[in-house]
Amino acid sequence: MMPLLLVLPALIMFIVSFIQSEKAKFLLPLTSFAILLPIVKLFMLPKPYALLGSYLVADRLDTYILLVSSLVGIGVTLALLTLDKHVKVSASAYRRFYRFFAIFWIGLSISILSNNMGLYWIGLELATLSTVYMIKTNHTKAAHKEAWNYMIVGAIAISLVLFGIILMYASAKPILGEDAMRFDLLLSHAKEIPSPFLFEMGFAIATVGMFVKMGFFPMNLWLANIERASFYPVAALFSGILESAVIIGFFRFSQIAMEINYTHLFGFVFAYTLLTIFIVSFLLFRAKDFMRLFSLSGVEHMALIALFWVSGGTFAALLHFGAHAFLKPALFLSTGVLESRGKYRIAGALRGYKGKKGQLFWILVSLFILAIISLPPSPMFFSELYGFGAMIETAKQSDHMLAMIGAILLLLMLLSVIFYRFVAIYQSMKYEGEEEEKRVYPSELFALVMFALCLAALLIPASLDYLRSIV
Amino acid sequence: MGVDFLIGLFLATLIVALFTSRLYRLILWYSMNSLTLGILALLIGEELHDKAMLITGIVTILIKAIGIPYMLKSFSHRFHFVRQIQSEIKVQHAIILIPAILVFTFYLAEPITHMIHGNANYVAISISSLFLSLLLMMEHRNVAPKIIGFLSMENALFLLGITATEGMPMLVELGIFFDLLMAIVVMNLLFHKEEVTP
Amino acid sequence: MIMYLLTIILLLLIAPLLLSFIKAVKMWLLYKKPVSLFQGYRNFAKLMHKETLISQEASQITRIAPFLVLSPLLVTLFFLPPVVAGAFYVSFVDAFTITGLITLSTFFLMLLGLDSASAFGGMGSSREAFIAALVEPAMVLTVFSVSMMSGDLGVGQAGVNLAAHFPEAHMASFLFAAISFFILLLAENGRIPVDNPETHLELTMVHEAMILDITGVYLAIIETAASVKFVIFASLFASLFLPFGLQFAAPVAAALFLVKLFAIAATVAFLEVNTAKLRLFKVPNLLGIAIVFAFLSLITFYVLGA
Repeated sequence: MMPLLLVLPALIMFIVSFIQSEKAKFLLPLTSFAILLPIVKLFMLPKPYALLGSYLVADRLDTYILLVSSLVGIGVTLALLTLDKHVKVSASAYRRFYRFFAIFWIGLSISILSNNMGLYWIGLELATLSTVYMIKTNHTKAAHKEAWNYMIVGAIAISLVLFGIILMYASAKPILGEDAMRFDLLLSHAKEIPSPFLFEMGFAIATVGMFVKMGFFPMNLWLANIERASFYPVAALFSGILESAVIIGFFRFSQIAMEINYTHLFGFVFAYTLLTIFIVSFLLFRAKDFMRLFSLSGVEHMALIALFWVSGGTFAALLHFGAHAFLKPALFLSTGVLESRGKYRIAGALRGYKGKKGQLFWILVSLFILAIISLPPSPMFFSELYGFGAMIETAKQSDHMLAMIGAILLLLMLLSVIFYRFVAIYQSMKYEGEEEEKRVYPSELFALVMFALCLAALLIPASLDYLRSIV
Repeated sequence: MGVDFLIGLFLATLIVALFTSRLYRLILWYSMNSLTLGILALLIGEELHDKAMLITGIVTILIKAIGIPYMLKSFSHRFHFVRQIQSEIKVQHAIILIPAILVFTFYLAEPITHMIHGNANYVAISISSLFLSLLLMMEHRNVAPKIIGFLSMENALFLLGITATEGMPMLVELGIFFDLLMAIVVMNLLFHKEEVTP
Repeated sequence: MIMYLLTIILLLLIAPLLLSFIKAVKMWLLYKKPVSLFQGYRNFAKLMHKETLISQEASQITRIAPFLVLSPLLVTLFFLPPVVAGAFYVSFVDAFTITGLITLSTFFLMLLGLDSASAFGGMGSSREAFIAALVEPAMVLTVFSVSMMSGDLGVGQAGVNLAAHFPEAHMASFLFAAISFFILLLAENGRIPVDNPETHLELTMVHEAMILDITGVYLAIIETAASVKFVIFASLFASLFLPFGLQFAAPVAAALFLVKLFAIAATVAFLEVNTAKLRLFKVPNLLGIAIVFAFLSLITFYVLGA
């Protein structure tokens, strides 16, 4: 019953999107809001809760991620209400966007809740393919090109993941049979896997696939270009929801890999993420528009999450993940207003807001911008503290303490480059440039307020305790 | 013996596809590639008495060897693809590059082949065909050959699935087919839009 | 010994017949009235009676070259794998010798083309050199790879070994070698994707361009050489890549061998009807495939043992 309930709003949305009347315009956002209800219900249920045999299992980790994703989905829906005020978008494109959003949501739910590597991949592929079309809702040449680009590169990345999954499956099949696809059994039998090298190989390939999909090292600007070419709600979907589906796969795979050979896993992820942050911090320094700025900062956050997770700072990783998932979409959604006077006008973007709505808007946006560079009391501040603490804790158990401290210093240096850049941008937004009037619509403001409330809710002690209890 | 022969044919069709400069020929070679894959799945399934693999073999032949090539051809009629697909990599370079990739992947796969019992060679061949399909995607600038490269990458992974693991669970394989069909639908929409907007 | 000589005579006799057979099948497939199967012999007889004219500019080479085109091929005939069990065969001749002999014949053909001092001759020779340079490495690799699979470097011995123990474990590399060799068969004999033997269109012709100035007996010799070359390739393909039926009684085995030759000829004819001739600068694509497959066959055999 529960799985049906979970996909029911998406199914209704899919069907309603074919109706060509004015009513659809109200019905679609309503059904989109309804995606939260079954997830809250799921959140209340005792864990682990088998949704569909051993295929879909809700445990604490995936319900948390699903809850965060659904909140982001609601924020995006709110912003979609006034999308046509900022950019030109036809009614049919609107409906089609919702149609693919429904498919996206189904794929995403499958992939987040799955307890089966194959099913995880299927959901991820479904979600990826449906986003391709969302990019295309923007009728420009650049969007078209980037949609193809996403299709091709995304397909390669996803195929790498499948490749890795097949190798991992092959490594565990001798002892587990067809159940070697199940995450929980793999985790409990990790020590008995007959050919650990094969598993590690599969893990490395799958991880490279997932990292490429999140815009890590070789493909740093890939996501930024796509988010630039598409409408801003799509960018919010990318950073808030799709990446959470990818990162949960990384969480699950690395949990198993941790059992097999922790040093290999740690070395691999550590080197990869450090390299990524190194490149991203300098790319950020030269970024000249909001989309690219936020998307590169998203890559940086994802790299930090991966790093914290493998360092054993699961609490820090999850907190950082939650903060990232709420902050990034909020900022992407606000770019609609910030860029309403031209794409590259960073100077003066926070000026010229009239009335109560405008006031609230610029205060919230400036808070968000300062929050992503982890100024306290941003949740990111705490998560980074805990994360670095966990890294040092890990190093204590090995004899690489000095190397770890050096690495953390390097990381802090790179983060301070990003910090400096964002502070400069904030000042330029607030104190430079001319004052031009910009309009803020209530729905956008509502979305921002919702994200701000969610962020605040992350910081209350009860939710911190919940995050600690997840793993 | 039959399996060895088919594996050879699988790689052979892929290599011929790499040298093709006509779109319809490329689609034909893709279809041949999928056909050998389907027959291979049927043969191995027969050997292992695995009903699931027999079903996937039949579905492979129906969807990948007949359905998708037919659809691609009809797309090309409808959306007026460029049918002369010139490779970005010159032939004389490809002659050096392809054997180099093959040698590289054969040796790359060697540690893996020690760990898989039975059909060890097939793993090496499927990994090298994965790399060759990547090359197919890279060497063309047009969209259509890139799609075929993506599809043959799927085929290579499928080959890895049936040979390295003796078949994945039925649900997963059917899900992969479903995703493939979804990909075709999305491609159709992308092409469609291309035609509408100038 | 007698079987050995009989085989060679049989192959020599059948050579013009095979080319006529290809032509006849092609015409039949195109709904034309097929040419007689004995047209090859008729042409030979007719050319033997014709006056032999030699261009004024031609040097001594034109007088010698036709014989030197034919003789390496005739020598190669002696080195082919046996057709029936128990027959005498030369076991020690390897891939390099066979390729070298065939290339020697091609070399004199090119000289002949250059020697006539006409524009066509030079053009044909340069094209032939272009193709031959690409064919050779693939040829050596292919025959070598098959010899490795059979466990003996000698081509004759390889044919016998393959018939005795078909390399079932190496089916993949065997297949690659077969694909490569078939492409070489088409390229070396100037069949359609590479060269059209039937036209005299200056844009396309390769083989015909070289022998445009040759007449009479010399032309008869060159045409015989072309047919012998086809027989050599076809019988190599038959005994290396279709290695069955050697164990039967001599007449049956010989008949089976003939059937194989005609099947190969029919395949060539069928391909010729269905494909268009490649542009000259597309020919490397085709031969590139042959080289890649030849190499692939070797490394698949060595690295994977498949």
